[in-house]
Amino acid sequence: MKINHTLPLEYSTEENRLKILGFWIFLGAEIALFATLFATYFIMVDRTGSGPGGEEVFKAPTLIIQTLLLLTSSFTIGLGINAMRLGRAKAMINFFIITLVLGVGFIGVEIYEFVQYIHEGLTLQTSGFSAALFTTLGTHGAHVTFGVFWGLAIVMQIKKYGLTPETANKSFIFSLYWHFLDVVWIFIFSFVYLKGMM
Amino acid sequence: MKELFPLKQVMGFVFSLLLTAVALTVYFIDISFTNGMTILLFTAFIQAAVQLVVFMHAGESEDKGSIFTSIYYAVFIALATIFGSLLTLVWGY
Repeated sequence: MKINHTLPLEYSTEENRLKILGFWIFLGAEIALFATLFATYFIMVDRTGSGPGGEEVFKAPTLIIQTLLLLTSSFTIGLGINAMRLGRAKAMINFFIITLVLGVGFIGVEIYEFVQYIHEGLTLQTSGFSAALFTTLGTHGAHVTFGVFWGLAIVMQIKKYGLTPETANKSFIFSLYWHFLDVVWIFIFSFVYLKGMM
Repeated sequence: MKELFPLKQVMGFVFSLLLTAVALTVYFIDISFTNGMTILLFTAFIQAAVQLVVFMHAGESEDKGSIFTSIYYAVFIALATIFGSLLTLVWGY
């Protein structure tokens, strides 16, 4: 294995570099996936049938909490990668754990919000609007949930093996995934919630 | 301690909080739908760009060209999917 020491650890072999490029291409496919969900949502948004619409169920406090949690977690994982590049494994693990705790907080608020929706008579089967809404939010929430377990596995590997080209590469790729979820949330925040509450 | 909080990322975070606050004004002040959507489109795409460049380091490796090509292509597919669907199914052409 040829290791280039002039590059950050996660890029230091050709295989690692290509894995990062490959993950960017995967994120391109994820953008297409979320685009289909947004397209469906925008078509269905006024098809509320006899159920409530977005302006009735969307609440500012839960939206702001979710946004702050995810935005901050995106910042802390960025700091984690910065610490990794400085070779500070311990600081990196701490930043990753903070990130995952914020992620769990986000999922908690989202579940609370879903329960509220159901209490207000908005379930998956209520209307075209509710089906598209739950599918879009649920797909994002499922990605965050998966990310929490993935991140946990990364933290355990860093603890066990330390910072090697391999673990650094895995951590960097995980950080790309996590930032991407924040990017998707920005669009949900703007064009599902705020557009509906305006 | 200071090296753990690089200025670029802290500023990126502050800037994204600022963009979030600006986006939230469409809810808290009375504003027309068109103006509100203009603000949201503006804040959302700038914020996505901040994430990609500041936090995801999209432009730092020798694969920069391939990475941006694949992201631009994906964004094109996304916009064509969303606006194509709206055009044929909602706006009614």
